Amino acid sequence: MAAHVVRKADLKKFINAVKKKNTFLGPVSRKGDVTLAVVGLDDELVLSYSNFKLPPKTLLFPKNELISTYDDNGMVEVLPSEGEVVIFGIRPCDVLSLLHLDKVFLDEEFVDPYYQERRRNAVVVALACTEPMKTCYCTSVGGSPAGEEGADVLAFDLQDALLFEGCSEKGRAFMKTYADYLQKPTKADLASRNKISSEAPKKITPINVTGLTDKLEEHFESSLWEESAQPCLGCGVCTFTCPTCHCFGLHDEQYGQRGIRMRVHESCMFPSYSLEASGHNPRNANWERMRHRIMHKFHSTVRNFGDIFCVGCGRCIANCPVNLDIRETVAEVLHE
Amino acid sequence: MDRIEQRIREAVKDLFHKDRVDLVIGFREGSLPLKSRPVFVRSEDMADDLVWNAFCRGNLAVYLPKLFPPQPQRDEDKKPYPKIGLVAKGCDARSIIGLIKEHQVHRDNVVIIGTPCLGMVDKEKVEAVMDGDAAAQCTEGENGIFHITGISGTKKSVPGEEIFADSCLECPCPLPEEADVQIEGESRKPAAKKYEQVETFEARSSEERWQYFVDEIATCIRCYACRQACPNCYCNVCFTDQTKPRWNGPGDDLSDLMLFHIGRIFHQAGRCVECDACVHACPMGIDLRLFTRKLGRDVEELFEYVPGRPEEQPPLCVFRMDDNQDFITEP
Repeated sequence: MAAHVVRKADLKKFINAVKKKNTFLGPVSRKGDVTLAVVGLDDELVLSYSNFKLPPKTLLFPKNELISTYDDNGMVEVLPSEGEVVIFGIRPCDVLSLLHLDKVFLDEEFVDPYYQERRRNAVVVALACTEPMKTCYCTSVGGSPAGEEGADVLAFDLQDALLFEGCSEKGRAFMKTYADYLQKPTKADLASRNKISSEAPKKITPINVTGLTDKLEEHFESSLWEESAQPCLGCGVCTFTCPTCHCFGLHDEQYGQRGIRMRVHESCMFPSYSLEASGHNPRNANWERMRHRIMHKFHSTVRNFGDIFCVGCGRCIANCPVNLDIRETVAEVLHE
Repeated sequence: MDRIEQRIREAVKDLFHKDRVDLVIGFREGSLPLKSRPVFVRSEDMADDLVWNAFCRGNLAVYLPKLFPPQPQRDEDKKPYPKIGLVAKGCDARSIIGLIKEHQVHRDNVVIIGTPCLGMVDKEKVEAVMDGDAAAQCTEGENGIFHITGISGTKKSVPGEEIFADSCLECPCPLPEEADVQIEGESRKPAAKKYEQVETFEARSSEERWQYFVDEIATCIRCYACRQACPNCYCNVCFTDQTKPRWNGPGDDLSDLMLFHIGRIFHQAGRCVECDACVHACPMGIDLRLFTRKLGRDVEELFEYVPGRPEEQPPLCVFRMDDNQDFITEP
């Protein structure tokens, strides 16, 4: 289905129609921030955000997830039961991160049933960026402010209207379902859409990642790691706000003869992450953990999955309490 | 400001020259607007990296305990402890004093470079002033007026008092005490110690207070930035990370979040110097200041103790016949 528009005045009608059939998540105001959340009756969509504070991974891979229960009779798997969810407003960089997560959780050999169930039920309606932030560098790591890769539908905010383009079978089917609410775009609509996709990338300051994977391998023992990680406080802001970080731990809670098993996000920046039962920790120092994080994004995942697991969203840069900047670390490695 | 920066650099060069320090921790220019960041200066020629401006938030004393590991954990060759200089605002100095009292830092090995502070800019207050247009540039002009330019071109000029962090507006002691090297310059006036915010909170019903606490911490992502940014949180293994036994679940279940936060806040009672490094570090904007100050106020009232002053001993270290015992209640 080709591009279609919904005038802003008719947006509520369209959303209400979607909400009748599916859970609808969109950008809404919560405690002074624009958050991706289930759009309630009193909620207005807020479109004036650069990106969400937290990445969308938690929608498919929750921070705290009940995966099974057990008692004397054995173990029962608990699969998600949320049904079809329409997620509107994810930025193209974050959509790309979902493709990376797919490689981890939907690997041919080891499919993760919890992730798979949520992923299958998700219709991703991405929203192209018009005003990239100072911390954005998606164009350097395979993305684009108006990139459609991975999205089911790509939307553009044209001030007076939203323009939708179906990008996948699922997305085109979604648009067909709501065809009654969609109109043909005018020439002016298409012109402003093209303006966004051509102008936005120009506002991004690119970084260089050419040859980075080999360089990382070469300079694993370099002293730069210890130096550049000196200010690191060892918190988990970078990993928990990263859209591609996907490590988790399993945690059992026992109540007498029964119990539950949970899957909980973990961070390689915490010493407990790599602590072994013997008491030995192979990544005992902060700088070793930081090196591991950078290596995982730009080296291991390239070797294992063929992709840099960084989408250039800039969250780790913007949120680091001591302003450690991954762009600078990358540049330092390349400069070695 | 520029002159203070120059004086810091000269003082640091002098310290290296006289072999009084092996390392100086200060601030250098950040990679983003509104941010300066910690830097570890290890030689005289690195001293020119040091900056001083209204974006030097965060408490540098946080790095000290790691540099003074207790005996059993030290290297086998037992190198002497390093001599460390620290570019200290009033709050950093209060933390250093606290760490010395708690025997985490050796007084003789620390050179407090006392730096007068006029207040540090709160990024979130700037965001509010800019009406959502992210700051692309922020410079301090004459008479403490800050000129801010947004990404979309909005220009605003505001006095520092409108965008300084609450911890600075309510700072009891912006000029560091116990400085070994004092940098000359103007510092802000100490605020008369007031607990207005805490009192307003206390006046609310217990249901309302509980709801506020729950609403605030419900957004916590358990990144522990608050703990890691705090000079007082130097425990080798935090109670919330212990697994044998596990005191607290690791996820974002509300009861687990509460246990962590209540534990963290209580461990700060009578120790927190109200620098708000935790508030600054929190990516979710949780109002940690209110809760920590509430306990700080209780300790001040019950034991007449204010942390961060050199001459006073912490209440748990001293016994007085007239110690307040109101908190002991019949079971």
